[in-house]
Amino acid sequence: MELFIQQLLNGLTVGSVYSLVALGLTLVYGILHIPNFAHGALYMMGGYVTLTAMTKAGLPYGLAVVVSMAAVGMLGVLMERLVFYPLRDAPPLHDKIAAIGILLFLEAFAQFVWGADYQTMPTPYGDVVSIFGLTLTVQRILIIASAVIIMILLYLFLKKTFIGASIIAMAQNREGANLVGINTNKVAMLTFFLSGSLAALAASLASPINLVFPGMGHLVILKAFVIIILGGMGSIPGAIVGGYILGFSESLGATYVSNDYKDIIAFAILVIILTVKPNGLFAKEGR
Amino acid sequence: MLEVANVSVRYGSFAAIRDVTFSVKRGEIAVLLGANGAGKSTLFRTISGLHKPVQGEIRLNGERIDSLPPDRIVGRGVVQCAEGRKLFSRMSVYENLLMGAYVHRKDKDGIRRSLEYVYELFPILREKRNEPAGSLSGGQQQMLAIGRALMSRPAVLLLDEPSVGLAPLIVEQMFATIKQINQEGTTILLAEQNAHAALSIAHHGYVFENGTIVASGTAEELLANDDVRKAYIGG
Repeated sequence: MELFIQQLLNGLTVGSVYSLVALGLTLVYGILHIPNFAHGALYMMGGYVTLTAMTKAGLPYGLAVVVSMAAVGMLGVLMERLVFYPLRDAPPLHDKIAAIGILLFLEAFAQFVWGADYQTMPTPYGDVVSIFGLTLTVQRILIIASAVIIMILLYLFLKKTFIGASIIAMAQNREGANLVGINTNKVAMLTFFLSGSLAALAASLASPINLVFPGMGHLVILKAFVIIILGGMGSIPGAIVGGYILGFSESLGATYVSNDYKDIIAFAILVIILTVKPNGLFAKEGR
Repeated sequence: MLEVANVSVRYGSFAAIRDVTFSVKRGEIAVLLGANGAGKSTLFRTISGLHKPVQGEIRLNGERIDSLPPDRIVGRGVVQCAEGRKLFSRMSVYENLLMGAYVHRKDKDGIRRSLEYVYELFPILREKRNEPAGSLSGGQQQMLAIGRALMSRPAVLLLDEPSVGLAPLIVEQMFATIKQINQEGTTILLAEQNAHAALSIAHHGYVFENGTIVASGTAEELLANDDVRKAYIGG
């Protein structure tokens, strides 16, 4: 039983990171209508910017995360302006190819600047605490708490403010958004900013547990794709629920099935869910 | 109030609109009559800034608006209720109406007043305010689309085929409501295939064929014009 609860907590940690990444991916899907393959590169850049801000600039962890969120958010905006905006009237295939191009470019860039080595990110929250007989590091508590807080803030922003709602409106009907006076350019930039920030936050939270390296985004982004397909493309609750489903299944699967098969579980779930509900769990009708 | 002068629009090499000139006076209902594919929607999209004309000018109260982006044109008070309605189908009726007030988002009192006005005009929208827009019937969706456009407090309201796909009884109500909106101070430009119903509430009409205006006049003149009667009214 104790092992089970311990694994649930692990699932919650991993799921929080997945959900943050998937949220950014799903938001941008609403704008581009293609999955942004470069999203994993934003995640990776987030890890490196936080690490550099800590080791080179000597910033404390918390501040480094904020700097990283701002910097990678701006990188997202740059991506939208320089690559996706000029392609707005091109066939969707061009967006996909461009996204892969950005991915390769950013990975080569990271390797050039920071090298190919695996690096560890120090955290001031490495202490182990014991609650109700469960042992976990403060970093894990931090991951869960900040992810939940950010998701609540994001939900309130999207649901309760005009600017936030304009993101949803644009995803549902771009021309309709234009015709009520929404500046779709600004909304697209804002969405890419949020998406980049969420990826940077996820990477900065996960890096002290995992490691920082140029390929760190690969598996995460593949799983984020699984999550948004599972949750329904473009669905925000779907991204959150999907992230946690994947987190729980992975950590429970690693314990009770085999640790070696941990990463296969995501894709097995994808196959099962798409067989039963081909449009995803939170499928939207009438697209 | 709204002037379209010598406007031409192309899709690649296809001239969708050729040298169109007309105007809508303050306080009136003007109607563009024409069959499917005559170019009415293209013209509306151009006025709203979704297409750029290759020549000509579009002016609102003497100021050019043809180079402005769509959101700024809405800000100036030229608001379109587009064909196909373009609603946010998974948002509630209330949220759709709120988004309609996007350009006035800082004016909370104004939004409340507009909302009350729209709910009085279309009581069914108040009843269904928490339902997703996509779950409404065709007629209700059309009401919501007009309501959402009214939320931006238009000086000129462009209505693109508001009667399309609606039952005859609903069409009649729709035209009565359009007339009421006009009498309460909104200038209206209406695009319609339903010539008889449209001319019965309009002041001026323009007949559109193959991307250009082939006849124009007051509503009475067009109703009495034999060619127009043959082509659009039947008999």
